[in-house]
Amino acid sequence: MLTKALIRYHIENGHIVPQFVEPTDAALLAIAEQLIAVFENSPGKPRTAVLEESKQIIDAASGIMVVKRGLEKLLLDRTEFDTAPNEELIAFREKLFTETSRLLAGEPFQDYAAYRRRVEEIARLESAPTGPEELSAKLYADLPSCQPVVAFKTLSPERLLHRYNCAQVQGLLLHCNTLTLRLADSMTAELRQLFKYLRFNQLLSTIQKEARLESTPTGALTENLYKITVDGPLNLFYKTKRYGMNLANFFVAVLHQQQWELTAELQLRNQPSYRLRLDDSCGIKPISQQFLAYIPEDIQLFQTMLHSKTDDWRITPGSHFFPLAGDFYCFPDYALVHKSGVEVAIELFHPWHQAHLIARLNTLAEQPSTKNLILGVSAELSKKPMIAEALEASAYFSALGFTFRSVPTMGALLPILESLIH
Amino acid sequence: METPLHIAFDKGTLILQHVPKALQPHLAELRWDERTLTYRAPAYRYRQIVSHLLAHNIPYQDNARQFTIEPFVLQKTLPPYPYQTEAIDAWHANGKRGVMSLPTGAGKTFIAVMLIADMQRPTLVHVPTIALMHQWYTVLREYFGTEVGLYGGGYHELASLTVTTYQSAVMHAPYYGNRFGLAIFDECHHLPGQQYQYAAISSIAPFRLGLTATPERTDGGETRLYSLVGECCYEAKVQELSGKTLSPYRVVTIAIEMEDTERVRYEEARCTYLDFLKKAHINMGAGRGWQTFLWKSSQTAEGREAFKAYLTQKQLSFASTTKQEWVWKLIQRHRGDRILIFTQDNTTAYQLGGRFFLPVLTHQTKLKERNAFLENFRDGTYAILVTSKVLNEGVDVPEANVAIIVSGSGSVREHVQRLGRILRKREGKQAVLYELISKQTGEHFVNKRRRQHHAYESSDSVSH
Repeated sequence: MLTKALIRYHIENGHIVPQFVEPTDAALLAIAEQLIAVFENSPGKPRTAVLEESKQIIDAASGIMVVKRGLEKLLLDRTEFDTAPNEELIAFREKLFTETSRLLAGEPFQDYAAYRRRVEEIARLESAPTGPEELSAKLYADLPSCQPVVAFKTLSPERLLHRYNCAQVQGLLLHCNTLTLRLADSMTAELRQLFKYLRFNQLLSTIQKEARLESTPTGALTENLYKITVDGPLNLFYKTKRYGMNLANFFVAVLHQQQWELTAELQLRNQPSYRLRLDDSCGIKPISQQFLAYIPEDIQLFQTMLHSKTDDWRITPGSHFFPLAGDFYCFPDYALVHKSGVEVAIELFHPWHQAHLIARLNTLAEQPSTKNLILGVSAELSKKPMIAEALEASAYFSALGFTFRSVPTMGALLPILESLIH
Repeated sequence: METPLHIAFDKGTLILQHVPKALQPHLAELRWDERTLTYRAPAYRYRQIVSHLLAHNIPYQDNARQFTIEPFVLQKTLPPYPYQTEAIDAWHANGKRGVMSLPTGAGKTFIAVMLIADMQRPTLVHVPTIALMHQWYTVLREYFGTEVGLYGGGYHELASLTVTTYQSAVMHAPYYGNRFGLAIFDECHHLPGQQYQYAAISSIAPFRLGLTATPERTDGGETRLYSLVGECCYEAKVQELSGKTLSPYRVVTIAIEMEDTERVRYEEARCTYLDFLKKAHINMGAGRGWQTFLWKSSQTAEGREAFKAYLTQKQLSFASTTKQEWVWKLIQRHRGDRILIFTQDNTTAYQLGGRFFLPVLTHQTKLKERNAFLENFRDGTYAILVTSKVLNEGVDVPEANVAIIVSGSGSVREHVQRLGRILRKREGKQAVLYELISKQTGEHFVNKRRRQHHAYESSDSVSH
C-alpha cells in the first residue's frame, strides 16, 4: 500500500478526487519497465544498492516525482529481503565491545587517535579490517540498509500502473469511516466472493434495494441496484477509522464486480471530511488472482457431496440477493434449484458470525412467510449459550436449520430440502 | 415467563437481547443496531451495564464474561515503600480503576504485580514496545512462577497472565476482549492515540490500571485516558522521591560551538531551506506545516534541494564534530560509570557507535542481540550503550548513572523519560544527565521548551 505522502488527490467541492495515472501512458510504462528491471535484477544486492539504482531512474526520467516514488514503493512491497541475523558479525561485535568497554574503563587515553589505534590492534587479532573507515563500516554491516534481496515477485508494467491506481484508492480508504457500494444483482461467483471478503475482514453490512430511473434513447429504464453499507461494529458509536485497513483490503473485491459505484466518507488528519466517489468507469483492473472465474473449493466439495446423494438438486452458478423483512436483503452462500424449478438458498454461520445469526433469527421470526432460506450453523457457534438458547427458541430454525462441523453434510441438509418439495 | 436480558461479546462490542424498553435509556451507550437487529454497546461499558442491572435487581444472563477468579500466588514478596502502599490503596478506593502517575524508577511494575495478586483475575498487560513486552514477561514469570502469554512481535499465545503491545491489542481485542478481568496499561499516555484507544474500548475488563510518568498530552488526550481507564488516583513527582527512592541527580547543559567549516555549511543549508519555505509560503508552525513541506519539496528539483538542505542542517546540529569531541571527553571523564548515550535518530546513533566502537541499541537491533546488550550492560561487561529512542520508555537499566543527550526532540516527556533511565536508586549513586546543545541552532529553542518541566528546575549550564 502507499504511504500518505505518496497519495495524490485534489479536492473539488467537498469531494476528494484521486489522481490516477493513465495505464496506457507510454512514458510512464517505460519508467515502470525500467524500475521493474531494477527489481528483477535485485536478488543478492543490498537494499541501498537497489534503491540507489531505482533513484537514478527516478531522478533521470521526466514525470511526477510522487508517482515515480509510488511505483518504487509498490515494487519494494513485492521484494523480500534476507532479514536473518548475521551470527558471525554478532559474535564479532560482542568480542569487540567487551574489549572497548575494558579499554574505556581503564587508564585515560591521550587522545581519540590513541584509543582508535588500540581498537584496530584488537580488530587485527580477529582478522577484521583495520583501515580507518573499514572497521566502522563493518561493525554494523547487517543493518536493514545492507540486507540483500532474496526474491522479487515480478509483474508487467501495465499491471503495476493498475496496482498503483488501486493503491491510491486503498491509501484513501485507510481514512474512511463508512463505505457504501451500489451493485447490480449480477448473480456471479465474484459477488459471492465479495461477501466472503466482507465477512473475512470482520465488517458488517446492510443491504437494501434501490430502483433507479435512467433515460435512454428508447425511453426510461428502471434499473434495480443493491445498496450495501459496509462498516464495523464500533461504527455505531464512533466515527472511527478503526476499520480503514479492513475497508482498504475489501476494495480489492469490489474491483472484480462488473458494475459498481462506491461512496466513502474520508477523514484525513486535521482536515474536514471529504467524500470519495468512484465507479467501474475508473478503469482500474482487478489486482488479485484469486477472484478469477473459477469454482471455489468449498462449492466444488459441496457439489460433489450433493451429486453423490441426489440428482434432483443442483447448485446454480452464483447466489443472489435474498429478500428479508422491510427493505433488507441478505446474500446467501449457496443457491440450489430442484428439478421441479423450486429454488432454495442456504446461508452458513461460522463461529465468528454470532451477531449475524442473531440478526437473521430475529428477522425471520418477524417474517414467518419465508420458506426457502435454510440456515446452517457451525456446531461451535451453536454451543455458545446465547446462540443455543436462541436456536432452541426459534421455530424457523427447528424447521429449516441444521448444524455442521466444517462443511454442511447431506445427512443434515437433504431432509430439509425434501420437506420443502413435499 | 419473560426471557431474561442477554449480554454477549461480539468483536469488541456487547450485544444485548431482550432489553426491556424502560431500561434502555439507563444502560451506558446502548444503541439499536439496524445491521444486526440487536442492541449494542462498546465493550468497555460492560462494568457500568452490569453494575446497573445488579443495583436494580434486574435478572440477566451474562454470556460476555469469559473469565473467573484466577488463584495467582506470589512466588516472592518485597515490602512495598510507603508511597507504593498509598498508591495501591488509592486505586482500590477509586473503585479498582484509575491512573497512577509516578516517576521512572519508582517501581510502577511492582505496584502492578501487587495488584494482580490482590485482584486474582486474568490480566492483560498492554505495553508500547516489544522491548517492554519482554521485560514484563520476565517480571511476571519471576513473581508468579506461572505461564505468561505474549501477543505481538510474532507471538500469539494467550494465558491468564498475558503481555501484549498496544498495536497488537487493537488488532486482536475484538477476539479476546472478554477474557481478562484486569487490564493494565503501561506507559498509558499512549492509550488515547487515534487507534490505540480501541485496545481499551474493545475490552470488557471491569478493573483497569494505567501507569505513566506523565499522563498529560499536548493534544489534551488525558481526558480520554481517564474515561477509559479511570481518573488519576495517585501522583508523585520526581523531586518528592529524589534522594529517597530515586537517586539524587544533576542536569548539566553544555552549549557547544560548531567548527567554522561546519558552521558555514550549516548556515548555507539553513538558508536554502528557509528560502524555500518563504518562496513556497510554508509556515512550519502551522498544523500541517511539515506535511506541506514534504509535499511541496517533492514536486520540484529546487524543493528536493531544500529537503536535502533541511536534512544537512539538522544532521549538523545533531552530531557536529564538536559534539562528538564532547562525547569523547565525557566518556573519558566518566570512566568506571555506566553511561547511556541518547540520540534523536538512528543515523547519529550508528555514527557514534561506529566512531567509538560502542554497542548501539535501536529498533533495528534483533531481539537476541538486544537482550545480550542489555544483559552485558547490566552486569558491567559493557559500560556504555548508545541508543536513539528504544530506551526512552520503561526498559529497566538500573545500573546506568550517566546519560548523555546528544540530540533529542522538543518533547518534555522524552526528556523526563530519558532522565528517568538513570534515576533507579543504588547505594551511593549520584546520577548526572548531560545535554549537548549546538549554539545558535534550532536546538537552542528545543532545549528551552523542554526545560519547562519541574524535573529540570535545578540544572547547571556550561557554555563552550
